[in-house]
Amino acid sequence: MNPELLRNLWLEASPFKLVQTAGLLLLVFGLCTVAPIISPDHAAMALYWLFAVLWGTRSAAMSVVGEIRERTWDGQKLSSLGPGEMMWGKLLGATSANWFGALPCLAVIMMPVWIGAGPGRALAYGAILLALGLFSQAVALLSSLILIRRNTGNWRLDAFLCQIAGIGAGLLYYSLWSSASIFERKGESAVVWWGHAFDLNSFHIVSLLLFLGWALVGCWRAMRAELRFANGPFVWLGYLGYLSLYSAGFESAIPRVVLDYIGGLSPAAIRLGLACFALLSSAYGMTFLEPKDPVRLRWLGEQIRSRRFTTAFMALDSWMLSTAAALAVGLVLALVLASGGALNFALAMLAMLGFLIRDVAIFVAMRALAGNKGDFAALAALGVLYLLLPMVLRGLGLSSLAFLLIPVLTSAAVLGVPAAWIQGIAAVWLAARSIGKRLNAP
Amino acid sequence: MIEIQGLVFEYPGHRALHGVSLTIADKAITALVGPNGAGKTTLLRCMAALETPYAGRVSIDGLDTREAPRAIHARLGYLPDFFGLYDARSVRRCLHYAARAHGIAAKDAAGAALVAAARVGLTDRLEQPAGALSRGLRQRLAIAQAIVHGPRVLLLDEPAAGLDPQARRDLSQLLLSLRDGGMTLVVSSHILAELEDYSDRMVIVDNGRIAGGQSIALKGAARLRVKLAAPRNDLKDFLAGQGARIESADAAQALVALEGGAAERAALLAALVGAGFAVSEFAEDAKALEEVYFAQVNPRADARNGPEAHIK
Repeated sequence: MNPELLRNLWLEASPFKLVQTAGLLLLVFGLCTVAPIISPDHAAMALYWLFAVLWGTRSAAMSVVGEIRERTWDGQKLSSLGPGEMMWGKLLGATSANWFGALPCLAVIMMPVWIGAGPGRALAYGAILLALGLFSQAVALLSSLILIRRNTGNWRLDAFLCQIAGIGAGLLYYSLWSSASIFERKGESAVVWWGHAFDLNSFHIVSLLLFLGWALVGCWRAMRAELRFANGPFVWLGYLGYLSLYSAGFESAIPRVVLDYIGGLSPAAIRLGLACFALLSSAYGMTFLEPKDPVRLRWLGEQIRSRRFTTAFMALDSWMLSTAAALAVGLVLALVLASGGALNFALAMLAMLGFLIRDVAIFVAMRALAGNKGDFAALAALGVLYLLLPMVLRGLGLSSLAFLLIPVLTSAAVLGVPAAWIQGIAAVWLAARSIGKRLNAP
Repeated sequence: MIEIQGLVFEYPGHRALHGVSLTIADKAITALVGPNGAGKTTLLRCMAALETPYAGRVSIDGLDTREAPRAIHARLGYLPDFFGLYDARSVRRCLHYAARAHGIAAKDAAGAALVAAARVGLTDRLEQPAGALSRGLRQRLAIAQAIVHGPRVLLLDEPAAGLDPQARRDLSQLLLSLRDGGMTLVVSSHILAELEDYSDRMVIVDNGRIAGGQSIALKGAARLRVKLAAPRNDLKDFLAGQGARIESADAAQALVALEGGAAERAALLAALVGAGFAVSEFAEDAKALEEVYFAQVNPRADARNGPEAHIK
């Protein structure tokens, strides 16, 4: 048996904890029987969320954050356990008590579906819920593995943030799945993806399972990094490719109000736009989450200056790859838009890329100047740039100058491109300077 | 066994190691000493392949820490300065998990745990929860976890910190027994007085550099302090002529290193008396190591702040 799983079972699935959980289940289902205010399957659903998602995400996050807190993580990193063993041991072992409570609830949830719609439907329903719990926990574990690299020293906040990330992922997953039922009630039983009609339910199940798969791959890679394995860029590039293709396929799902606004754009431009939006989200998300270690950035710079391009490429972080991918797809999109006659859209896209470079450079500079607090300082700076200053300009009757701060589709779009790229280049210069300044300190 | 070449390590805004080069002797105990913040822990973590250096290389058993960190992890045990244990679990279970986590097969893990417990003298505590052990016994359990897989190298960061005198003596004996069993040990410490009990060599780390550029042998030569009631200018030359290595000397006293044992010391004393030197003191100098240390570590700061500035 996986030693890490066994250790977690020893620690987490203690008889006392199991008896407590069983007692809670008996109490709730007993109350449902005696005083049927709520049906047992609804109570079971609430308990499932409690055990698998609310508490499960905390258990998953604490499986790593707790090791840091207890100063046992170095010992684990020096063990012979592989990243897969470590990941499954923590993911399933640390949440064993949660699953002890959640699995009976799952059976209760599935029972009326089995009776009403047959075993196939009930099993699919159960599989979705099981994947929901696992997905939330995997995201919490992944978040914890990313957060510990930032070395914040505040385990309570770290665990809470990871829990929030896991719960958020679970809610997103659930809302996607629920949307299938809404579409079904509207009489829509198919989803069009890349021009092909797929059964709505099956499409959602496959999508969600694929995202669960990517979350597990993310955990495995993050664990590899902790255990000093070199990850390389290819899996993340693969994920970005998947994300782009997946997003680009939903051209027909764009709401009519948006289509009216961007009317006239070619299907290729819309697909590229969807992919670019997904990549931009990834670039901003990863830039915020990942540590932008100034020492590592200077080391990368030295590799490039020494023409060790392969070494540098293999060491690129996810935020760098996401930003590069967003820039590449964005430039192609701008070309497609320009060739299709949508010049203002093309200019706005180019401006958006300039702003992306500026924003990423602000994160890097703030991290170098203010350490771990830098990311939140950068968020505040972006809040000022994207929200406060445009409002001030509007208040002063200077809305025509908005191109200085945000991509615009007006006649000023042509001025927006140099404005954004000048800011981008200036921010990169500032970031490079702040990294050098920090590193030259005694 | 351990080769360090041009090791540079940086934290944001601070260079912790400045091109450290060092060879750690095989099957010996090497002590890393130096002021707080000198870079000892960073150096140990780089050796343990827990940190990636900015430049330079560390090789253990011919393996580069950057290229084969996991293979190195399998060859070493490491005890951090602030370590944790799974307090709710018994000593036996802690050791069993450590054995399994270090790749020992399930059928052999219980045996390996017992052997490790016996090596550190915890056989009678196997069923006790780790959280109920005293500081000294926790230290032993942590060392047992680090050696349960029989590593060739053991790195210990301040293992004696917080231990009472008896526990320190037990630790010294444990370290010596591990060395005699063929292990290479690197021990970081700032308690100079006890280093001579178990260390074969000493490396002084100061401000991210190796003071003096190399390790210093602690064993093999006794440091003797010779004092005269009537000073004589030929004391230094006479001692040198007797085969003693002069570390410091003037007309009234000398500090010398003398190879050999009691017979050689007796012969030197007899020669001194025979040559008419009025010997008032002839003894091993317990403070000799401190003198070597302070001669290497930032003497100006020493003069300004006193010894406590360097050694806790």
